Amino acid sequence: MKNQIPRIPLKALIAIVFTVFTISSNLKAQDGAKLFKQNCAVCHSSHTDQKLTGPGLKGVFDRVPKGDWINRWILNSEKLIKGGDAYANKIYGENGKAAMTVFEGNLTPKDIDAILGFIKAPLPVAAAAPAGGPANLEGTQGETAGGIEPLYVILAVIVIMAVLLASLRSVRTALQNTVNRSDNQDEAMEVTFWQEVKNWMGGHRRFVGVMAIILIFVGMKSCWDACYTIGVYYDYKTQKGYKPEQPIKFSHKIHAGDNEIACQYCHSSVEKSRHAGIPTVNICMNCHKGIQTGPQYQGKEIGKIYEAAGFDPKTLAYDDSKQNPLKWIKVHNLPDHVYFNHSQHVVVGKIDCATCHGNLKEMTVAEQKAPLTMKWCIDCHRKTEVVMEGNAYYDRLHKALKEKYAGQYDVKFTVDKIGGLECAKCHY
Amino acid sequence: MKKNYRTIKLSISAALAGLVMAGFTSCGKKDANSPGVEFMPDMYRSPSLEYYQVHTVDGDTINNAMLPVKGSVARGFIPYAYANTPEGYEQAGLNLHNPLSASDKEQWEKDGEVLYGKFCVHCHGATGAGDGKVGAKLPGPPPAYSGPLKNLPEGKIFHSITYGKNSMGSHAGQLTQEERWKLVYFVQKLQGPKTAGTDSTKVAAAPAATVTPSH
Repeated sequence: MKNQIPRIPLKALIAIVFTVFTISSNLKAQDGAKLFKQNCAVCHSSHTDQKLTGPGLKGVFDRVPKGDWINRWILNSEKLIKGGDAYANKIYGENGKAAMTVFEGNLTPKDIDAILGFIKAPLPVAAAAPAGGPANLEGTQGETAGGIEPLYVILAVIVIMAVLLASLRSVRTALQNTVNRSDNQDEAMEVTFWQEVKNWMGGHRRFVGVMAIILIFVGMKSCWDACYTIGVYYDYKTQKGYKPEQPIKFSHKIHAGDNEIACQYCHSSVEKSRHAGIPTVNICMNCHKGIQTGPQYQGKEIGKIYEAAGFDPKTLAYDDSKQNPLKWIKVHNLPDHVYFNHSQHVVVGKIDCATCHGNLKEMTVAEQKAPLTMKWCIDCHRKTEVVMEGNAYYDRLHKALKEKYAGQYDVKFTVDKIGGLECAKCHY
Repeated sequence: MKKNYRTIKLSISAALAGLVMAGFTSCGKKDANSPGVEFMPDMYRSPSLEYYQVHTVDGDTINNAMLPVKGSVARGFIPYAYANTPEGYEQAGLNLHNPLSASDKEQWEKDGEVLYGKFCVHCHGATGAGDGKVGAKLPGPPPAYSGPLKNLPEGKIFHSITYGKNSMGSHAGQLTQEERWKLVYFVQKLQGPKTAGTDSTKVAAAPAATVTPSH
């Protein structure tokens, strides 16, 4: 019990020191991660080769000159380039002369050390988890074949019955003939099929008449129904519209629904022009330059944008000679003799996109939801009230109407009341 | 003989009637990929040259989604004087100022907010913190207006919307210059009052030389 210094085993000492060191370096790395995210992540990927605006930083310490070059570069890259530093000018040229922000005055040398510590250390597990979302977000694309058309069943039954009838008849005739021959009688006189049918029909007149009437009515009804489904891109019976497969499996659900991108971001001419417009690939690239994988098809469908734009996702460079226009298929079609103006309906009429196009936020494949027939247009013009209050387009008209008909009528100003049914409004 | 002839005639007409009926009923559209059949030419397939269509005229195939003729200028187009270079960016920051009168600032901010909700919010987030739903999916989220971009001058905001910056693409095709300036007012509102200090977004020394017009 004398002179007993509590002896800490060497192993424990090492463990404690190591833990303290790890914690402190972890703290530093955490701090560095935060700083990296705030200041660098917009242009650099920390632990991969993936080029963003600037190069990926995997293995950066093996590439750059030794010593404090990288610290000086981060502080003021412009000074290095202007100063004629060979490596600085080399990477400046390699990256399309996109200059890096000067961080002098915003980041302290300590901050930069923390960031470099974060880049050096392996990526923490939580952050390294793949960013891919759950697959199979969308429903299946194709529709299952919905049973066989009853008409074809009936036709098939009729054909089978006819074949059966004909073969049975020939068997009967053959048997009859054999019997006759064995009885040494003449062969039976040939009775034609038609004569036999006529005989049978003569015996069942009432039945044949009723059947004929039913057949005629069914035929007329089906012709009448069929006339409704011709050429209008919309099936009234099933309430289903044109839903073509597009060159890229673009999902409105993911873009407008899950990610809440406004319709006007891509269809930006909807408020300025007659057409809502199909976005150019340049608008796709505004986001997909950075977002290179999707939740369902990974990079496959997004890769088609790059093909169309002549874009190389590895080097982030465009090659105009490799452009290949996308041939989107127009879903909503009006005949040539109809004039329709989007800006008029959206800006002046304040009509919501979904009123005519349905809830695209839930559609994986865009589908025509409204019949787009003249009856449909006119029905809507008859029942939709014009938004007069707080609408600069109608200020004068509304005031004049209110003065002229003060107290006389209790009128709803629907579109047809201000000329929405005139032929020349849409046909000219 | 005569009876046989009548039989043939009858059966042929019955077959024809059947065919016509089957034809009519099969017109009912079942394939979602097919636009359907027109009963008679209803001008759904336009004889005039329509946008985004491929047409054949005198044997030549014409794609109507084409770039405008080189050198053509859109009506109302205002040229933008600063080049898409680090120098142009710095020059814009120094010399470019909002032409919309500051006395109507509140109105511009209101208009800008509407535009921001359509064109910016999904990446930059409702408060401009860079926390939009799409921003979170980008490799690096956009920097916060009230953070690293707090002292970004108006000219640089406009320049960035026009040409794009880093991960952001050019929005000049979607927004007119006036709309971009309205957005600048709203972004400045999100930045909050400027702090004393230098612009933290410097990439190059701005040469005092004259502005070189481009575009």
